Amino acid sequence: MSIPLSSYLMLSAFLFAIGLCGALSRKNAIIVLIGIEIMFNAGILNLMAFWHYKYITMPTAYMFAIFAIAIAAAESAIALALVIAVYRFYKSVTLDEMTDLKG
Amino acid sequence: MNAAFWILSIITVLGALFAVTLRNLVHCVLSLILFFLGIAGHYFLLRADFLGAVQILIYIGAVAVLMLFAIMLTRHVTGDEEEREVLGGKWWAGMGTAVIVAGLLWAVIRKDQLTAVLPAGGATTSVAEIGKALVTDWVVPFEAMAVLLTAALIGAVVIALEEVIRKR
Amino acid sequence: MDHSEYLQQLVRQQWLIPFFPLVAAAIQSLLKRPARKPSAALTIVAMGLSCLFALRAFFATIGGGEHHDVERAVFNFTWFRFGTTSLDIGFILDPLTAGMAAMVAFVGFWIFVNATGYMADDENFTRFFCFLSLFAASMLGLVIANNLLLLFMCWELVGLCSYLLIGFWYFKPSAAAAMKKAFITTRIGDVGFLLGIVMLYWKTGTLNLYTHDALHPGALEQVSALALRSGWWGLSAASTIALLVFIGAMGKSAQFPLHVWLPDAMEGPTPVSALIHAATMVAAGVFMVGRMYPLFTADRGSWVMDFVMWVGCITAVFAATIAVAQFDIKRVLAYSTCSQLGYMVMALGAGSLVGGQFHLLTHAFFKALLFLGSGCVIIGTHHEQDMRKMGGLRKYMPITFWCYLIGMLALSGVPPFAGFFSKDEILLATFHRNKYAWGAATFAAFLTAFYMTRQMFMVFAGTWRGGRPEDYPHSKHAEAHGQATEAHEDHGGEPHEVSWNMWLPIAVLSLFSIGLGFFGHNYGEYLGAEAGGSEEGKAVVMGASLAVVALGLLLGWAIYGRKKMEKATDPDPLLGALRGVFIFLNNKWYIDELYAATVYRFTATCGIFFRLVDKLVVDGILHAIAWTAWAISQAFRWVGDEFFINGGFDTGCETVQLGGEELSKLQNGRIQNYFRVLSLGAAILLLIYFFT
Repeated sequence: MSIPLSSYLMLSAFLFAIGLCGALSRKNAIIVLIGIEIMFNAGILNLMAFWHYKYITMPTAYMFAIFAIAIAAAESAIALALVIAVYRFYKSVTLDEMTDLKG
Repeated sequence: MNAAFWILSIITVLGALFAVTLRNLVHCVLSLILFFLGIAGHYFLLRADFLGAVQILIYIGAVAVLMLFAIMLTRHVTGDEEEREVLGGKWWAGMGTAVIVAGLLWAVIRKDQLTAVLPAGGATTSVAEIGKALVTDWVVPFEAMAVLLTAALIGAVVIALEEVIRKR
Repeated sequence: MDHSEYLQQLVRQQWLIPFFPLVAAAIQSLLKRPARKPSAALTIVAMGLSCLFALRAFFATIGGGEHHDVERAVFNFTWFRFGTTSLDIGFILDPLTAGMAAMVAFVGFWIFVNATGYMADDENFTRFFCFLSLFAASMLGLVIANNLLLLFMCWELVGLCSYLLIGFWYFKPSAAAAMKKAFITTRIGDVGFLLGIVMLYWKTGTLNLYTHDALHPGALEQVSALALRSGWWGLSAASTIALLVFIGAMGKSAQFPLHVWLPDAMEGPTPVSALIHAATMVAAGVFMVGRMYPLFTADRGSWVMDFVMWVGCITAVFAATIAVAQFDIKRVLAYSTCSQLGYMVMALGAGSLVGGQFHLLTHAFFKALLFLGSGCVIIGTHHEQDMRKMGGLRKYMPITFWCYLIGMLALSGVPPFAGFFSKDEILLATFHRNKYAWGAATFAAFLTAFYMTRQMFMVFAGTWRGGRPEDYPHSKHAEAHGQATEAHEDHGGEPHEVSWNMWLPIAVLSLFSIGLGFFGHNYGEYLGAEAGGSEEGKAVVMGASLAVVALGLLLGWAIYGRKKMEKATDPDPLLGALRGVFIFLNNKWYIDELYAATVYRFTATCGIFFRLVDKLVVDGILHAIAWTAWAISQAFRWVGDEFFINGGFDTGCETVQLGGEELSKLQNGRIQNYFRVLSLGAAILLLIYFFT
């Protein structure tokens, strides 16, 4: 392929930035989680881009990526459970209203 | 192949963008699904077939659905789906930070000009190899992963369950 | 031993002459009042000792050598040094000094004796004799001084004593005014004197007059050099100094126009008038010119000598005219003194040191005699001083009359009395110098004879015009004496002769007035004058002076002697004849009024002006400085303290507080915020990592 590595890296960096943006700017907790997922995927894409261009015969990065996806899934399950639990208490999911940690 | 890359990239970026900017939460998740699809396409393009499949199965099949369920469960009683204010307080701080990070990474990448060319021959790690590696070299992380998933399962149930018990 | 060695030994003891009266004055200043007997005894004894020492010095100088050079012994010593210069004091023993010292001591002694009687009733007896002793000490110090510093100090001291004694009865306003006038007028002269001294010191480098030391010559030994250097006003240095010094003499010796203080000085007790204002202090000016005579004669071509002569001449005539029209017995004598001083000064100006000095000596004797006589008259007539209220005192006070007559004849210049010889010397010298001056001086001699005859007839001849006993209550006595004792109670209002301690001195002085004149020639030799001088014209001069004297006596008898005044309120015969002139003369030519309108007014205006300058300028500057200091301090307080220190501190505290408030907002409990901060930190770390 004639696509240089740097293109993939830029792509993943761009996606990472978009995810970060969303995580920091939106006040809905679920959107924050979405942003986090985007960041995760961008990172793994980065990893795979390197694997593809340098270590394609070795499964190390592949394994890493598989486990990372598994962990991400577990993490998002927990996070969403937390969101539901928090929703029960605050009756909303807007982060701006959750200031009990203040002080 | 270049065209495939660019089309997939556009799909992916658009998906991510819409995922974080749409007002309607369900639309966001749908856009997220599009994003996941784009990523999977990229994996295929990178000759990581198994990973692409896993991506579709897990992310789209499980995580996105889970998010939909969570959205459903956390709606306002009034059924109002729209948010008044999209952005949180001092949203520009976050935006600025993201821009900084993007700029940084871009500058770095440009500077380095990494060009690597795929070795010819179409060699790749096949699924068979991955499967074999999972249960030989990588068996410990594999089992640990299993434990983790179990813990997460139980944990999620516990966290989300409380209310049900109380309500009784 | 050698004569000059003997003189040298004596000159070291010259200080003893003024020492005794000085000690007497010091002791008397500490005595409790009243202490009449001890005070009088102390003064008389001290003066007697001075007299003895002065006479010893005098006789020592007489036994001079065969040569005609003046024998002069000096003794100088350093008083104190500063840096490389030093101030010296010196004594001198030469004929001029010895003669003068002897005269001052001798006449002073007899005046003191008289004063014990005159001031017998006064309650301030001790103070009087203390001042008199101090005066005697300073006058003698002035006479023996070889050093201008000592001379000037004593000059000022005699001025001070004169001030104190004129205003002895200071509770009388006229006396208080007179003492001030005397001091200030003589002060004006002293300014010139001081300038002369300074200039002399500047040009010669020393204040000693004679040193007999070739390496460090005295001031008067350098006159030939001074005559060649230039001074002010086109004169040589010597003449300039002489002129300045003469201004001092003009003040002290009451020459025109600084004569105004002398008549007013008669406010003091009569012994004071006798001693200070007849015999000694006023003669100090003449003596001082004589002492500095080499300065005057060094430059023959200058006009200073002529100036001196004319000043003296004018004074002589001017004062004599005023004396003709006075009614107070002491005023007549005061103006007479002024006139005779003019004669002495004129003689000095004409070039005759001998003439001036000899007349000084003879005049001292007969003027003191006249004043003491008038004192006796005053006491005898119960403090009457107006001649119109006297008369016929010859019957009541014979001793006083005869002594007074001798004095009057001596003053008028009747031979063979002393005044004739001394006045003749003067007229001769003036004749050689300037005929006009001689003519004026001869006219003054005529006036002298005239007014003295007038006085004699008014006072002693005729009938007693004074009041009866009831006109003189004892309160008037007490007022004049200042609560005196009651020594006068027992007699009536008629005049009476005085006690022995008052007429004895005038008897002694009258002897000298008769006999002293014959020593004129000897005195000339004694002083070292050139033998002879020009004798031509002597007959003319003598003849003329005899003629005018006779004329004056005759005229006086004609006007005042033939038809005597009957009552005190009778007008003066001259008033009828020369009405306007008489009034003009009686008012002293209105000189005092002229001075009041010009000089006094000018000085007062200057005083007001300078007071204004003081208040506005000086005080203004002072206030400005004080205000500036205050303003600077305020500025420092404001800028330094308020602004920087206080302000800085306050601002620092506020900044910390505000910063804390801002930073605490970070902890607001919002997780998303924490996340943002976290990512910002990560971005910064990346920055640092990638770009360094």
